[in-house]
Amino acid sequence: MGPLFNANDEWSFVIALVIGIAFGFILESAGFSSSRKLAGVFYGYDFVVLQVFFTAAITAAIGLLFFEYFGWIDLSAIWINKFYVGSAILGGGLMGLGFIIGGFCPGTSACASAIGKIDAMLFLGGFIIGVIIFDLFYPLYKPFYKASSMGASMIYDVLGMNKYVFLLLFVIVAILSFVGTAYIQQRVSKKTKKY
Amino acid sequence: MSDIRIIKKRYIFMASVFIGLALLLVLLPERHTLKELKAERLLQEVNDNTRYFTTDDVAEKIIANDAYMQLIDVRTPEDYKNFHLKGAINIPIDSILNKDEDGNYTYEGILNQDLKANVFYSNGTIYSNQVWLLLRRLKYKNNYVMEGGLNKWIETIIKPTKPSATASQKELDRYDFRRAASMYFGGASVTVSAEEDVPAPTPVIKKSASKEEEGGC
Repeated sequence: MGPLFNANDEWSFVIALVIGIAFGFILESAGFSSSRKLAGVFYGYDFVVLQVFFTAAITAAIGLLFFEYFGWIDLSAIWINKFYVGSAILGGGLMGLGFIIGGFCPGTSACASAIGKIDAMLFLGGFIIGVIIFDLFYPLYKPFYKASSMGASMIYDVLGMNKYVFLLLFVIVAILSFVGTAYIQQRVSKKTKKY
Repeated sequence: MSDIRIIKKRYIFMASVFIGLALLLVLLPERHTLKELKAERLLQEVNDNTRYFTTDDVAEKIIANDAYMQLIDVRTPEDYKNFHLKGAINIPIDSILNKDEDGNYTYEGILNQDLKANVFYSNGTIYSNQVWLLLRRLKYKNNYVMEGGLNKWIETIIKPTKPSATASQKELDRYDFRRAASMYFGGASVTVSAEEDVPAPTPVIKKSASKEEEGGC
């Protein structure tokens, strides 16, 4: 069955637009256009972000593995980004910093701009300037950026585990994190004023 | 306890659905899906040209010492010895699917990995495309073909032709790059032995008018 369309197809932009709109709609429905909610993970009063993304991850993982099992999708045809260890760590840190300073991540800033939030529009502007600066100076840090690549590696391959066993453990970790964060959220909300 | 009350019934239900489904995947008997790439998918990939590296790309990467490209010469060892591109290794087409004593493909470590882009070349593109096709059927990734092979390499990089005076700036820039690359690669001193893509010219037997035709109708 899958993939449903060829990446080189001219329709791919249209499909990307439709998927993008659906993604934005779901972000907005989950309340992710509010920077208070997003920053909540950092301050410990609201873990909806973590819960939504973790749920999305396990739903997609279970779904994809079932699809593969029934032969509906060819997992090897799915593009997986390469893992560059150094840039992933540095990039993750920078992204987290930007997230907590600005109150949005790239996707949610677009989402919040769409519903007219001025802070999100400024964030989006900064984001675009950042992209341009990154592009201009790319040759400077390309060696670091491309260094220590582990290829499109799978975590269960690195750990030498069966992927289904890994998925089961991952689901258990996700559920434990939901319980844990719900507990923290309650404790913090009791102590601090809710914004 | 209030801590426990926050975990509502429906969350418990959802959590058990997730765990149940994941457990089911673990317990289901292993299913052997087709190890090879499906024919339709292969056809689709054959028809799109994303597997090609142009000779300019290859030249640029050789000059830049790009560690993420591995050139693989799929011609015979003799041809390889006579001439090969800088940094290329030789895996002749007839030994590409060689297996070791354990029955594993000898070159799998090189031909199926995520780190480097393998670029195959032969004199034309027939052999390199055949290698690409064989490996793609095995679902090997990260393999590419140098468009036009060594014939095109000579034509574009070693002996570039000057574009006409009315050519676009892009073409002129490309010509400048090619001329510089030509100097880098030592100019027009290379010759390629066999031309696989171009069928060997069949000798034209000229009939001499003076001779009588023997036999025939």
